[in-house]
Amino acid sequence: MNRAVVILILALMTCSLMLVYSQQRSRMLYAEKNRLENRQNRLNQEWSRLEYEQRELSKSSRIVSIATKQLHMKEPKQDKTIYVKEKAQ
Amino acid sequence: MKAHQPNSSNTLVLRLPMWRSRVVLFLMFMGFCALLGRAFWIQGPGNDFYAEKGKRVNRVIALPSVRGKILDRNGAILATSLEAKTIIAYPEMIPDDLSANKITALAKLLKMSESELKKKLIDSKNQLYLRRQVEPNVAAKIKELSIPGVVITSEYRRYYPEGESMSHIVGFTDIQDKGQDGMELSNDESLSGKDGQKHVVIDRLGRVVDDLGDYQPPRHGKDLQLSVDSKIQSISYDAVKKAVIDNRAKAGSAIVIDSYTGEVLAMANYPSYDPNNRSSMTGDQLRNRVLTDTFEPGSTMKPLTVALSLEKGLIKPTTQMQIGHLQIGKKVITDTHPYPSLNISQIIQKSSNIGTSRIALQMEPEDMWTMFQSVGFGQVPKVGFKGAVAGIVRPYEKWGKLDQATMSFGYGVSTSLFQLGRSYTVFARDGELVPLSMFKVDKPPVGTRVFSPKTAIDMRYMMELVTLEGGTAIKAQVPGYRVGGKTGTAHKSMGKSGYASNKYHAFFVGIAPISNPRLVVAVMVDEPTAGSHYGGDVAAPVFSTITGSALRSLGVAPDATLKELVQNVDTSLTQKVALKR
Repeated sequence: MNRAVVILILALMTCSLMLVYSQQRSRMLYAEKNRLENRQNRLNQEWSRLEYEQRELSKSSRIVSIATKQLHMKEPKQDKTIYVKEKAQ
Repeated sequence: MKAHQPNSSNTLVLRLPMWRSRVVLFLMFMGFCALLGRAFWIQGPGNDFYAEKGKRVNRVIALPSVRGKILDRNGAILATSLEAKTIIAYPEMIPDDLSANKITALAKLLKMSESELKKKLIDSKNQLYLRRQVEPNVAAKIKELSIPGVVITSEYRRYYPEGESMSHIVGFTDIQDKGQDGMELSNDESLSGKDGQKHVVIDRLGRVVDDLGDYQPPRHGKDLQLSVDSKIQSISYDAVKKAVIDNRAKAGSAIVIDSYTGEVLAMANYPSYDPNNRSSMTGDQLRNRVLTDTFEPGSTMKPLTVALSLEKGLIKPTTQMQIGHLQIGKKVITDTHPYPSLNISQIIQKSSNIGTSRIALQMEPEDMWTMFQSVGFGQVPKVGFKGAVAGIVRPYEKWGKLDQATMSFGYGVSTSLFQLGRSYTVFARDGELVPLSMFKVDKPPVGTRVFSPKTAIDMRYMMELVTLEGGTAIKAQVPGYRVGGKTGTAHKSMGKSGYASNKYHAFFVGIAPISNPRLVVAVMVDEPTAGSHYGGDVAAPVFSTITGSALRSLGVAPDATLKELVQNVDTSLTQKVALKR
């Protein structure tokens, strides 16, 4: 009888402590999840920003202006172009 | 037995006075009462204090949604939302003894004068937006000042990398992220997202530790892919801009159509505006003239009239016609150069008003009206743009002989450049009119047959003559490619007072390559005033620039002098090229 009571008391105490522990752990994990979500958002933003920057640098108006003004490039004339026709298989 | 019985007399002896237990009972009762009272107090009248405490750990966090991107046909970004900072001030929280240096620094970062900033802070009681959409580095500097009561929050700001060349198509949003023009307006619903929120518990250090259930995820806006090719668009815009400036014109427009798919590859207007910086914007710059402005198409109408007559079997390309002098009622129809006689191809090549009128007068008004309708004139194009107009085609019952004649060369009918460009897809697609799309098309659409393939092909050859020696638009030629089209030079209509004698619209609508058409390009220049005002001099060179670059960019093989251009390369070189791919 007494032994049963002692075991039950011990079990009860263990459960209570586990409850406290799991609650704490759940909060920690939730905080971690939140932190990671924020990080994901930041990285997404960063990605969008870089994508925009890449576009800004590679847009054709910029390429044309650099090619013609800085590099003095010209479009090839027709007589300087060799057209290669793919052979019909 | 007796000894085992409880001794009743003993208990009686030990009995304590009754009042003592009563007192204990009473005290316990009072204790419970106190607890009850306290509980009542906390739940009821004294609740505010705890509610206040609770708010600190119990918060609703907004989860902002991001507006969808707008992309071109190759996935290049035309509009995107990036994070921008907003500076908010709570005037009552700003200490009175704030150092003057900090105020000066803040005013400088906000690009305001110091007095303006102080006035703003004094005038307002509640929270105050000091500045929205601040660059991240400026926001960081403001944060470094660490002024109590000045808070930085995040918002999204729209960016348009293509700037003014694409602004009429893409449009722009207002500061609340609502679409105001172009695609941003007409597709606002699918582009805009919906903010979400979550209800959380935070700990002493401000970290989120628990979720209280009602989580609403943010719904981000959908991306939108257009049919436009940003490279061709950029080329078109530059060409139109150059033409407007060189010809000292009021405005100019161009549209490039892929006749295989009906996709609009470019739609350019000048004057334009930079959607990233709209401070100096007027209504004139805002108009997407390709869709919103109608005009009388002038001679660009002639191929349609001639095609109808060919279709009816009334004429052949080689039919010889007396031109001479034509008077209808009091009105004399005139040509730029007088010709005694021309064949049908030459009527197109030389753009003879008299010849076209004579062809038109052989037909029934109803047939011409039906043809105008079937190529889309007089109807609002279904293209998903707000503000697109229908133009005017009057009912044929009201046409007189003169009306019928003038309409055959494009007076008395009005269309937009979009409709005019679209109508030429009937020539490019062997007689089929194709619906145009501003969005990328997966499979080629089904066209509606207007003319027979033979008529369309005959017309293409006639239109090629326009760009050859003896035609009105030699300047439309594109090296390496066979092109064809029709010029137009129309007196501007001044409403009731008739036509302006010295104000013109110059047009060129063309098709390329003639042997296997891929593109329809329509160009309009409004009121050219420097030198020539003819479509062949003003609009045709724009066509040539745009078409040449667009064909190369699309990788369309040259068809003009291909035989001379293609060298018989040995197989090893071909293999090398193949390997490099």
